[in-house]
This record gives sequence, C-alpha cells and structure tokens, in this order.
Amino acid sequence: MKIGVFICHCGENIGRTVDCPRVAKACEWLPGVEVSLDYKYMCSDPGQNMIKDEIRKKKLDAIVVGSCSPHMHEKTFRKAAVDAGINPFLVEIANLREHCSWVHDDIDSATDKAIDLVRMAVEKVKRNVPLTTIEVPVTKRTLVIGGGIAGIQAALDVANAGYEVVLVEKEPSIGGHMSQLSETFPTLDCSQCILTPRMVEVYQHPRIKLMTYSEVEKVEGFIGNFTVTIRKKARHIDEDKCTGCGLCITKCPTKKKAFNSFEEDLAYRPAVYVPFPQAVPNIPVIDETVCMYYKNGKCGMCVKVCGREAIDFNQQDKIVTEEIGAIIVATGYKLYKIDKKPDDSPIKGYGEYGYGKFKDVVDGLQFERIASASGPTSGEFKRPSDGKEPKKIVFIQCVGSRDESKGFSYCSKICCMYTAKHAMLYKHKVHDGEAYVFYMDIRSGGKMYDEFVRRAIEEDGVKYIRGRVSRIFEKDGKYIVRGEDTIAGMPVEIDADMVVLATAMIAQQDASELAQTIGIPYDKYGFYNEAHPKLRPIESTTGGVFLAGACQSPKDIPESVAMASAAAAKALVLFGSDKLEREPVVAYVNESLCAGCFACKKVCPYGAVEVKELKDRNGVVYREVAYVNTGLCQGCGTCTATCPSKSVELAGFNNEEIFAQIAAL
Amino acid sequence: MEELRKHAKELLENKTVAAILAYVEAGPQRTKPAIITKPEDVSKMVFNEYCLNNLAVYLTKARIKNLAKQNGTVMKLGIVAKPCDIHAVVALIQESQLKREDVYIIGMNCHGVVKDFGMEFSGETLASKCVPCETHKPLYYDIVLGEEKQTPAVSDEVLAKMQAIEKMTYEERFEYFKKEFDKCIKCYACRAACPLCYCQRCITDKTIPRWIESSPHSRGNFAWNVVRAFHLSGRCIGCGECERACPMDIPLSLLNRRMTETAKEAFAYVSGRSIETPTLVGSYDVKDSDELFM
Repeated sequence: MKIGVFICHCGENIGRTVDCPRVAKACEWLPGVEVSLDYKYMCSDPGQNMIKDEIRKKKLDAIVVGSCSPHMHEKTFRKAAVDAGINPFLVEIANLREHCSWVHDDIDSATDKAIDLVRMAVEKVKRNVPLTTIEVPVTKRTLVIGGGIAGIQAALDVANAGYEVVLVEKEPSIGGHMSQLSETFPTLDCSQCILTPRMVEVYQHPRIKLMTYSEVEKVEGFIGNFTVTIRKKARHIDEDKCTGCGLCITKCPTKKKAFNSFEEDLAYRPAVYVPFPQAVPNIPVIDETVCMYYKNGKCGMCVKVCGREAIDFNQQDKIVTEEIGAIIVATGYKLYKIDKKPDDSPIKGYGEYGYGKFKDVVDGLQFERIASASGPTSGEFKRPSDGKEPKKIVFIQCVGSRDESKGFSYCSKICCMYTAKHAMLYKHKVHDGEAYVFYMDIRSGGKMYDEFVRRAIEEDGVKYIRGRVSRIFEKDGKYIVRGEDTIAGMPVEIDADMVVLATAMIAQQDASELAQTIGIPYDKYGFYNEAHPKLRPIESTTGGVFLAGACQSPKDIPESVAMASAAAAKALVLFGSDKLEREPVVAYVNESLCAGCFACKKVCPYGAVEVKELKDRNGVVYREVAYVNTGLCQGCGTCTATCPSKSVELAGFNNEEIFAQIAAL
Repeated sequence: MEELRKHAKELLENKTVAAILAYVEAGPQRTKPAIITKPEDVSKMVFNEYCLNNLAVYLTKARIKNLAKQNGTVMKLGIVAKPCDIHAVVALIQESQLKREDVYIIGMNCHGVVKDFGMEFSGETLASKCVPCETHKPLYYDIVLGEEKQTPAVSDEVLAKMQAIEKMTYEERFEYFKKEFDKCIKCYACRAACPLCYCQRCITDKTIPRWIESSPHSRGNFAWNVVRAFHLSGRCIGCGECERACPMDIPLSLLNRRMTETAKEAFAYVSGRSIETPTLVGSYDVKDSDELFM
C-alpha cells in the first residue's frame, strides 16, 4: 500500500510550535509511506493540487494529512482525494493544531508528538476500508410544531413551495402570542390586522393539514423518515358538523366560570368557548373542568341550541400518526408570571413588586390586552381594579431578565421596544396622562427601532428614568413606586395609578419534555439549542429538525418570521433530492458473535439498535441479535464501547483500525 | 423430595416442560446436574444441602435450548433452582437471554449449602456465599417447594477479608492480587461455570485485534481476572460458582463481592433481583453518581 503524508503549517498556527519540515522528513521513513511533504497552507488551492498531483504521480492508495481538526477541513481533503481517484474514507487527518501546536510551547517535544500523531494516522489508514455513502429515501412532508407567527410563516412557505405540511398547535386556535398583541413596533400597525389574513391562508391552504388542540406525543425515525404520533385532544364538538355560529357559547350558562387565558386572566369565559373572535379554526372547545354536564350530568344547553348536532360529550382523544421528512419546531415562549413560583424555578421572585397582590400591577401581555381594541376594555385604558382611567403609569423593564441574582442572566430583547410602544399607545389615548419608564439600558438595535424609542421620549413625552425599582406599595389609593435614578444619583418615588412589568420571556413550561420527545438539545433555560451559534443557527443538532422563533431564544416578530422562512428553506433543501446521502460512519453488528444481551440497544441515544431474529432454514427463530438501523445511527460509538464481546463495530473506526493506531504509539 | 419428584413428573407428563434441569444423586453427600426429559427418571431427582451447582448456567446453552424446540414450537424448560440461582435466571431475563415465559422455575426454599461435597452440613461447613445471603425464599417462581429451615449463623469471613484488603496500601493490595492471579492457569473454568458469561465469543478469545492480553505473565493474569471482574460488575449475582470451579483456588468472590457492593453503594442496584428493573449499564438517570467515572 502506498501512502502519502502531507503536513500543513497552517500559516503560523502549526508552524510556530511544530517543526513541519522535520515531521515530513521523519515520516518519509514510515513503513508504507511513499511520499511525505509539507506546505504552508494545505487547504489552499495549490496545497490541494499538490495532494492531487502526488496521488496521481505516485499512484497513492491512501493519504494522511497532518493539519487542523477534521471538523474544519476533513471534507476539503476528502474531496481532493476523490478528485484524484481515491475513496474519501482512505483519508486520515492527524490533528496537529488543536491536539498539538495550540496546546504546547516546546518546539522539540511538540514536533516529536506531531510525528507520533502522524505515525498513528498512517497505521490506521493502512487498515481503513473504502466506504460508500449511505442513501436513504426522503418523505417530502413537513411537520410544524406550534401555530404562532413563526409556525404559520414556516408552514405557508413550505406549502407554497409545493410540499405538504402538518401544522400542530396545542391551543384551540392558531395565532399564538401575536394574536394577543394590540399594535406592533416600530410601525404601530394593528397586530391582528396583519396576522389574521395569514391565519386564514393557513386554514384554506390545500397542502396544509391543520391540527389544533393537538400535541406531539412521540417522534420516531430519522431525517427524512420520521413517524410522528399526535394526540388530537377531544374538543367535544364535531369539527365536521360545527359551522362556528357561536350559539352554544352565547347560551352556555357558565358565563364566568373560567379565566380567559387569551385575555391574560383579565376576563372570564364560559365552559364552551373559542379563544378569540377571529380564531382559526372557528370551532369552539368544551372545557371539561368547568362544564356543568361533566360536573353533574345535567344542563346540556349547548346540545339543545346547536342546530347541527355537533356537540359530542363522549368524544375521546384521537391518536394520529403522520409520516414526516422534516420537523420545524416553533413552539414559542411564555411570559414569566412572577407571582407563581414553582419550587424548581430559578427565579426567586419579585414579591416586592406586588404582582398578583395589587390588581393594577400587570405584566406586558396583560397591558397588551388592555390596550387592544378587541380586549376586555375595548381598547380604553381602564385599570383592572376599579375600571378608572390611570393618569400615571410606571413601566418597569428587565423584570427577571438580566438579573442573575433573582432571574435569568439573558436579555429578553423585546421589552425595551414594547415598553416604548406601550408608553406611546397610552400617551396617544390619554393625553393628560404621565408615563414613566424605569430602565437599565435601552437596547433598540434594529431598523427604525432606536428612532421609535426616541419618538416615545421626544414626541410623546415619556419620561425615562435610568435605575431599578426597589419596592411598590399601596398608599392612599396610589401605588408608590420607590426606585433610584442613577443618572441624577438620587432616590425617586412616583405615586402611580398603574404599574406595568416587562417580565422575562422564558421557555414554554413543557419545552424540555418536547425536546426529549423529539430528541433535540436545550440550554439550561429550556430554549432549544442551534447546531452552531453562527453558521447553523436554524438547524438543531438532530438531522432534519429545524428551529424557528422564540423557542430558540427571545425574539421579536420580524426575527421570528425571518427564522421561520429560513427553517422552511432548510426543509426545502432536504426535499431537493429524492435520496439523502449520509456518512457511512455507522455501527454494524457481527451477527454470528452477538449474544443478544442488547446492552447496545439500551445505551443507544438515537434508538438505532433494533432486535433482529435469526431464523433457520425452516423459518424457526433460533437467536435474537442486535441490528443497527443505519439511517438512525449517528456513529457515536456508544454501542461499541458497551458491547462486552466487541461484536458491534463502527465503520471507519473499527477495532482493528483503532488498535493499530494505539499500537503505533 | 417426594413433593419435588411428584411435581416434576406431572410437568413432564402433561408436557408443560420439555426438560427439567435438576440435581441427581452422585454418591454419598454428592450431587450432579442432570437433564430430566422422561417422567420415569424423576425418581433420581434430589434436593439437599449438596446441590451446589447453579443450573441457570445451562439455560443459555444452545444444545439445551434446542431441547425445548420440538416440532416447530417452543416449550418451557424447567429448572430446579435455589433462591440464589433464581437471581441468575432473573439477571438472564434482564439481559434478554431468556423470556420469563420460556422457563418454569421450581423454586426451592433454601437454608444454605455446604462448601464442598462430602462435608457434613453445619455452620462450619456452610458455603461462604450462604453466610451473608438474605434470600432464603425464591423471589420469582412457578412453584415453591421444600421446607423452610433456619440458616446457621456464622461470622462473615469473606467480608472480613475484604475489609482487611481495603485497609492495605495500593502496593500491598497489588502484591496480594498479583500473587493470587499468578496462580491462574487460564483454564477459564470460572467463565464456563458463570451463568452470566453467555457471550457467543468471549472478548478474551478475540484475536484480531487482541485487546485482552492472554500471556502466562502477570500482565495476562491481571488482564483476564480484572476484565472478568469488570464485565461482571453490577451483573454478578454472587452464586460463587466461579470460585468453586477454580482449580487454583483464586479468591474470585473477593473481587465480585467488592464490585457488587460498589454498584449497590453508588446506584442502589443489585443484579437479578427484579425482572422489571433495567440493567445497571443499560440505564441512566441524571441523579446517577459521577464518582465512578474514570
């Protein structure tokens, strides 16, 4: 076997601490090495040409490149090898940068180590087996989880490109948080006016299968070939018969039985309800927990009034399975309710702000509902306690965000903007009102964003106070907001009629469970992790699963929409070909040796190990052995480490190759 | 004993089982394992303090498994099992080597066995594995037979030895085991006797490449004995058959028991006690101790 060794200086990166010419010279004498050269930048065009020329000239069978991490340029050198006629898996990288030059100072010993590393790679490449890439088919259907603006945008983009979409939303209607907003920054256009046409488009789209009031229960399979189990929760209303006339809602006697979560608990709703008038689909849901029929078996008023006989008290949850190729996760965020403190919450609470105790201390979304024309006050500024118009409102930013001691260290990103918007909306309607904003910094990066905040301050006269609020208490019917003005360097007290807290944007309650169901990583806050913070911000680390919107980190609407379109593009890239090519670095089982203890199956993080029955010629099963589904296997090697008899091997890193590599040291 | 024979006869006659792994008399104060397939042979079956073998080792052997396959159907295999042997059956079920429905467990109440054949049963001759034993009644069974008797109470010599070794310095400990392991002749009787050594091909026999050194040298002696102990960590059910099989009297139960104790302390796990519990290596809990990571 003829092997070529190519040592890269990586400019100064390797060359500074490793004597590359000495490495190349020493490797000339290794058994099997035909040629050994060094060059300043092996990844450059001349460098790659040098490799190709040597392969052709010396008729090399395999090459070893001593360079940076294989994460960087393995692909480059494999491509070069393929161009010159060598199987890409007969290329080994000796990592002389991350594993050597960057972590050592002494030139002599670093050079000796570099020679050892190359020698190990040479011994391995001698035993490398040519491998061919694996092809798997692609199901060209997309699952979008979450029907907020990100999910809607992703679903529309994929569907408009000509592929089928299943959109799953756990609430009775799509629309998400955007449907709750009054106006949107920085243009102050009505949120529902721009959102509802999209919602209707989703509903009417021939290629979008909309599943509201449904949740993803199980995700099996792998990129291009997922099988997803969805639980369609019982609405107790037949979706095919219901016309959305709303008679059941108006006649339901349980008028004020439950808090209206769409109105952020500022209003009530009956047991049978649609979240909001423009809901899509416009089909009500019966809430079993408050419905009289489920309490005592009586009432049934809705059954009497429904002309379509659509009410079905006996309806059960339905389990639906869908074949899916790509998954777009767009599950969004929730706002931190600072009065409710689950024991395991990292937030220690802001009891001193009196949220939950004082009715007129509200959070950002509650204020959106108060400001909204479709809200509980029909857009008139009335405070929740007595319905009077507040003449002085204090807005407090960063409640929970950027607060390591009590909340989360991250910035919720949208609060600076929406607080300015809130103050502005208030000033536009209550001309004699006063608006104060306590802030830490103003973070208004974005097109027309800073201008928007300046407008609030300069044109609408919102008073910005840089500092934190220490306490809010009630005195003579006013809320005394005690804080600090750090610019003036003195304490301030404001007697407000109402206080609005810009509480932190946090991950959905069940974000980690869903992540575990799908098999994607998440950070300590429950936000989903992207594959690379700069270069792969849309992909999760799991193939075929993409992220959109605030489930990845706090985001505003334009960013969520942009990310959703990007995720749709990623799904469409996947659908661009009928077959998927995968690296053949996957595990394989030696069936004659496998004892079938299935330790590998238990430890496999990807569920790639299956049970295979070995049958004799009469079709009688004589043994069960492990079998690796190459489509699912990610080549992590956990099974090979676990197998007590070494009956499972990893292609490209098999026992012989690794042993030779170690023995060479 | 009559009870056992009667039940065994019924099982064979009404074809509940294809064969019964049992003990038969082999001279005074001595038994040997036997495969009973005919109802007329049940009269040879015995159960007493001389039933030393752990018959579970035979359950995974292809030749014996084949006995249960008749005319394209799989019948049950019967096994006469002491409570400790049943731990092995359970461990085999946990590790997918057996299905519970494929085995008929004739569980025997047990008050201990002797150290070796030809000894009068008493506290002094009680097998060392029986001293700390807590399971005198079968945990899993299809029927329980035999009378319940008190196990003689004697001091735990293996535990004392284990504690003495733990007090040694690393060097002393190494020397102690070096001396013991140097007796090893690589006959692999320990492996053959172990009900949980069921691999189709032991990693020690793997030659391309040879991960486990097999030279008749301290290195090879350590390699085999330490690998054996590691591969049984969190799996060994403590039947002591390896040590009994060893012709060179290497105190293998010292190692096995230490590993069992470690698994118990770190993960509250003992192998072979519950069919439903996932195996130690095959399960992960975020609360698992990180201490044992090397």
